[in-house]
Amino acid sequence: MALRTPSQTIGPFFHEALRWPDGGKVAFAEAGGKVVLSGRIFDGAGNPVGDAMVETWQRSPSGSTPAPAGGSRNPHGFGRVETAKDGTFVIETSMPGGDTPSIGVAIFARGLLKALRTRVYLAAEENVRADPAAAPLAASPRLRTLIATRTGDGVYRWDVRLQGEGETIFFAP
Amino acid sequence: MNEMKRPVDPPYLYPEYRSTLLRSPREPLVELPPGALDIPGPLVPRAFAADKDNDLTLAGKSAPLGEKMILVGRLLDADARPIRDALVEIWQANASGRYHHPGDNHDAPLDPNFHGIGRTFTDGEGRYRFITVKPGSYPWQNHKFAWRPQHIHFSLLGNAPAQRLVTQMYFPGDPLLDIDPVYNSVPDEAARKRMICKLALAAGIEMVALGYEFDIVLAGAKSTPLGI
Repeated sequence: MALRTPSQTIGPFFHEALRWPDGGKVAFAEAGGKVVLSGRIFDGAGNPVGDAMVETWQRSPSGSTPAPAGGSRNPHGFGRVETAKDGTFVIETSMPGGDTPSIGVAIFARGLLKALRTRVYLAAEENVRADPAAAPLAASPRLRTLIATRTGDGVYRWDVRLQGEGETIFFAP
Repeated sequence: MNEMKRPVDPPYLYPEYRSTLLRSPREPLVELPPGALDIPGPLVPRAFAADKDNDLTLAGKSAPLGEKMILVGRLLDADARPIRDALVEIWQANASGRYHHPGDNHDAPLDPNFHGIGRTFTDGEGRYRFITVKPGSYPWQNHKFAWRPQHIHFSLLGNAPAQRLVTQMYFPGDPLLDIDPVYNSVPDEAARKRMICKLALAAGIEMVALGYEFDIVLAGAKSTPLGI
C-alpha cells in the first residue's frame, strides 16, 4: 500500500500548460447525436469564475466505455476547457448512451484546493429522479442543479454555482 | 497512524487561503453509488507529448537562467503499483519567480528562454523525468508579506476519474513552507511532507544539474480498469 499525495490548487497560471488542441471537442470512435453544452460558473458572491478549468467524461453514444483514442487527436470521451473571463465554458460532444444520459464534470480553479466533482444530466427531471445512480438525491430539491436546460436541438445550458443560493450539488470523490 | 485520523486532502474552505472563501461549497458533499460515470480512462494519445517536451530548458535559443535540475519520480496507485503510459503535465515559474503567463504581473523578469511548461508520459515502470530549472519564489496578495515557497505544479490523469489529481511539489528545507496557506491547508503533517521532493544527487548530471526525486501516489480507482 502507498500513501496518497494530497491535492493542491491548480492556481491561476495553468492555461498554456494544460491547454489541449480542440480540448473542448470531445471525440468518440462512433458517431452520435451532436451536443453543445455551455454554461457559466459563479462564486458565492455571484461573480463569474473566469480562471477555472473544466474536465468532462462520459459514456459513448452507444452507452459503452469510450474506446482508446486510436487515431484521434484527443482522448475519447474526455473534454478539457478553460472558462472565459465571464465564467463561460463550452463543450462540444455527443449524446451519451443510456436512459438518463449524463456527463461527469470536474472543476479546478484558484481557490479550489481540490477539484469539485459533479455531473450534468441531459435528461428530463423525472427520469433523473428515477436514476438508481442518483438514488441519494431522488427527493432532493437541489437535484435540479444537475439538470441541463435544453434550449435547442442538441443545445444545452447548465450553470454552476460554487456556493450559496442555488449551490450546485458536488460529490465526494 | 495520523493518516487514519486526518484526511489526506485539504478542505474546500480554508480561510487562511483567501480565495477559498467565495469558491468553497457549503453544502455537504453527496456520496453516490457506483454508476454509469465510473469508467476508466482517459487514454491520452501519445502525440500529446513529443520526446523533447520533458525538457523545459529548450524553449529558447540558449539556456534559461537559474539552477538546472533533473526531476525524476514514479507515478503509483494506492497499492504501490506503477501507473504506466500516463500523461504528466507540469508548469512552474522561472528562476526569478515569474510565470510565462499574461495574468502574472509580478515585477520580476521574464526569461525568453524559459516558458515553464513540460509534459511527458510515464514509462513501463511508472517513471517520469523532466529537465528544468529550480523555480523562484514570488509574492502574492493573500496576506501581508505572503510569498509562495518554490514549487512545481503537477497534473495527473491516472486510470479513472477518481484518480485525477492536481497538486504542487515543494522543495526540502524551504523556510516559506511554514507560512504558506496552500501547503498548510493539508491537515496532516505527514501528508504535507509527501508533497516535498527529495534531493537525489545520482539523478542529476555531474557538473551540470542537481537531481531531485518526487513520487506521486494517486487514489485507488473505484472501478477496475475494464469494469463496466
